[in-house]
Amino acid sequence: MDWISLLLVPAIKSLVVVVALLTGFAYLSYVERKLVARFQVRYGPNRAGPFGILQPISDALKMVFKEEIVPLNVDHVVYLLSPALTVMPALVIWAVIPVSGASFTLFGQTITPYVSDVNVGLLYILAIASLATYGIVLAGWSSNNKYSLLGALRTSSQMLSYELPMGITLVSVLLIAGSLSLVDIVQAQRGVWFALLQPIGFIIYFICGLAEAGRSPFDLPETENELVSGFATEYGGIKFALFFMGEYIHMITISALATTFFLGGWYGPFVNQIPVLGLVYFLIKVAFMIFLIVWIRASLPRIRYDKLMHFCWKFLLPLSLLNLVVTAVVLVLVG
Amino acid sequence: MSDTTFEKLRAQFPDAVLDVSEFRGDTTATITRETFLDVARFLRDEPDLQYDLLVDLTSIDRRDLGIEPRFVTVYELYSIPKNHSARLKVPLPWDNSTEMPQCPSVAAIWPTGNWHEREVYDLMGIGFTGHPWLHRILMPENWVGHPLRKDYPLGGEPVYFSSDRDNPRFAHLGKPIMEGPSYPSKLPDDVDSETHLVINVGPQHPATHGVLRLAVELDGERIVSVNPDIGYLHSGFEKTGENKRYEKFIPYTDRMDYLAAMNNNLAYVLTVEKLLEVEIPPRAQYIRVILAELQRIASHLFWIATHAHDVSGTIHSLLMYALRERERILDIFEMFCGARLTTSGMSVGGLRQDIPGAFPDAVRSFVSEFWKRLQDYEAMLTRNPIWLSRLKGVGILRAEDAVALGVTGPMLRAGGVPFDLRKAQPYSSYDHFDFDIPTATEADSYARYQVRMREMEQSLRIVEQAVNRLPEGPFCTDDRKVAPPPRSEIDLSMESLIHHFKLYTEGYKPPVGEVYGMAENPKGILGFFLVSDGTAIPYRLHVRGPSFVNLQATDLMARGHLLSDLITIIGTIDVVLGDVDR
Repeated sequence: MDWISLLLVPAIKSLVVVVALLTGFAYLSYVERKLVARFQVRYGPNRAGPFGILQPISDALKMVFKEEIVPLNVDHVVYLLSPALTVMPALVIWAVIPVSGASFTLFGQTITPYVSDVNVGLLYILAIASLATYGIVLAGWSSNNKYSLLGALRTSSQMLSYELPMGITLVSVLLIAGSLSLVDIVQAQRGVWFALLQPIGFIIYFICGLAEAGRSPFDLPETENELVSGFATEYGGIKFALFFMGEYIHMITISALATTFFLGGWYGPFVNQIPVLGLVYFLIKVAFMIFLIVWIRASLPRIRYDKLMHFCWKFLLPLSLLNLVVTAVVLVLVG
Repeated sequence: MSDTTFEKLRAQFPDAVLDVSEFRGDTTATITRETFLDVARFLRDEPDLQYDLLVDLTSIDRRDLGIEPRFVTVYELYSIPKNHSARLKVPLPWDNSTEMPQCPSVAAIWPTGNWHEREVYDLMGIGFTGHPWLHRILMPENWVGHPLRKDYPLGGEPVYFSSDRDNPRFAHLGKPIMEGPSYPSKLPDDVDSETHLVINVGPQHPATHGVLRLAVELDGERIVSVNPDIGYLHSGFEKTGENKRYEKFIPYTDRMDYLAAMNNNLAYVLTVEKLLEVEIPPRAQYIRVILAELQRIASHLFWIATHAHDVSGTIHSLLMYALRERERILDIFEMFCGARLTTSGMSVGGLRQDIPGAFPDAVRSFVSEFWKRLQDYEAMLTRNPIWLSRLKGVGILRAEDAVALGVTGPMLRAGGVPFDLRKAQPYSSYDHFDFDIPTATEADSYARYQVRMREMEQSLRIVEQAVNRLPEGPFCTDDRKVAPPPRSEIDLSMESLIHHFKLYTEGYKPPVGEVYGMAENPKGILGFFLVSDGTAIPYRLHVRGPSFVNLQATDLMARGHLLSDLITIIGTIDVVLGDVDR
């Protein structure tokens, strides 16, 4: 293994993933605004460019050129660091997500459709996902604002709570697939998607994913109507945009992971004959999940904070444990 | 006040009643200050009387009337079980010293008196002995003087219709006419800001729908107490009204509860008409009912839109749907009077103009479509488990607490009291229509939601009946002393020309006297108290805003709940700050 395949190829692949995600984030915000607008009998952005497709660019420019305002009594280092801490984990998770099944050869190098196939990929994902909490907690704490603090406290407890049922559900997936590697998990779904084998697990994972990403009806970290803007109250300009970016990339990530764990990843009809279809199927599935998330946002009220915790600890957690036990027993019986 | 009330009062307190007078069906008893609290308690507790609702509490500065003593407090009482009302006046002897005149506080008898007395203290400078926390409520804490006193200078800047900036007479422009140093607002003494977190919800906060500040004392996320701080939008409507002719105050009423302009118009013109004793032709009455009920629907639509938005956060869908329907009502208003929000659609004596020909059909098509839309909203919310979990059991306001706090409208009816002025004291021919008063028993936020949804249905029924049975005839009274003659008459009749000239130069001059007028607004009872000194300008004009009174119940409803519930609770109060601060 030479230095090209060790360093250069992963670096280029990481760059491609990051650029794709940032563009994806920008256009996800556009698509969401358009979709939600249609749900709400509005037009949505339609001024910048044809059908408003340049809207994300103008938004980004606006955010970048906003005056940099840092409140007086904040903890400077932490305050400036926390937006980056929020975005980073959402990006880093993508290192292990396989977007297609087929490798291809370019300049004599075999390029695999993932940055790296870690053999503990699932654990890696759970570990990195937990890190995202830090950005939000630190933002809330360093802002020196009561609303931010309350928002941050809510977020941390919410994220920590929902990681448990999510992790347990993923253990069921692990039991069936027999591997922690994401590539192996997808390949185990060659015949049947895990969403069909694990319907309850899929639903639990989806709900936890919504809560993890802070999406409606679990968007308590922001709760604009109670806590003004939650942890992000004191942030403006590009710093706010980073939080926003974190949330949206998180949403893409959650959808991609749902696709990988439950919807058969890149598998679909004729994917063995035409390998490039794998990527298309993967993207379609991710887009479908994102559409679901946006749809939910347009139609459901927000859960109250204490009910959210009750729901997690008294319902989701026992259910996921039960699901795990049943899965294990059935696996032993079937052999 | 019925005769029996008056006799009983005389029998019980022979020395207390100084005078009893009657004017336009309102009976007023003047009570001595010393015996007043006993009289009040007697009126509330006597089984035959049961004046359980203190509708309004205000005061008059009689300096320019030349009556001694100068200050008098006025209590408008109403009995929900007996459906009768009475007015008490308590003259306050005062030696013109720098000390304020003093009046005993009724806050212990009718808790609603708390804020009313603070308002009187603030604006009129009357002290209330025994009041739990007598501080300014509408004006800033450091305000000098009491604006509603007749000797308070009117002030203001002259307006020059030129832009010559070098002219020395503009030197004062852009400078404040009064010193306005920042001043920390006071929190009640029992707020513990050392061990609890005190958080300011407002005055700039997404969920308060206006400049309402709630100083919330939190233990974790649990609410220990809520202290509303109001007055940010106070614009002195009462003082303005006391310097304008009667009919010129109508546009101001639009701007009080700006989501229910038609209802405000109606309540005000009804009060002036009561003072003038004019007959309103049936056609005008029916059109007023149609407009008022459409406005009620529009107001409730705005409520459900913003409430769903507050509770849910990101779903703006219902907000958009409800506003879409409200837009159609505003279109109908525009068709009628050209304005959408601040309509000033009614005038004393009837309406400003007749409805256009397309009006009934526009109303009918709205009604038939809205029945279906209402089902959609119900489908989105009524049995939605998240919606239920956010509203059920939150912000309970029992009927007895509601009455004691003077809370009226849907909030009272959600506690199971079927009290609606449209039924209890029908005005503007509401008794011609067949409709029900929706009530609920749970008294929580969900009950209030249900009551308002049902009320929209009942309003639709009223509108349907009124538009189908709309009588022919004039759209305003033919009393030329009140309403201007039609344009066609002015060319032909010298008398009409004179009436027209007199009306627009002098206005009408009601007889000396005082009346209290009430109407059922979407948010509760809107009351106007008018004192006429025989000129074309009201001597005293007082407004009882339903939101002002209802807001007082926030603390009681929110204690022990979570911060998230506070948003639900403010939402179900359906507060409009224009109405609170006036």
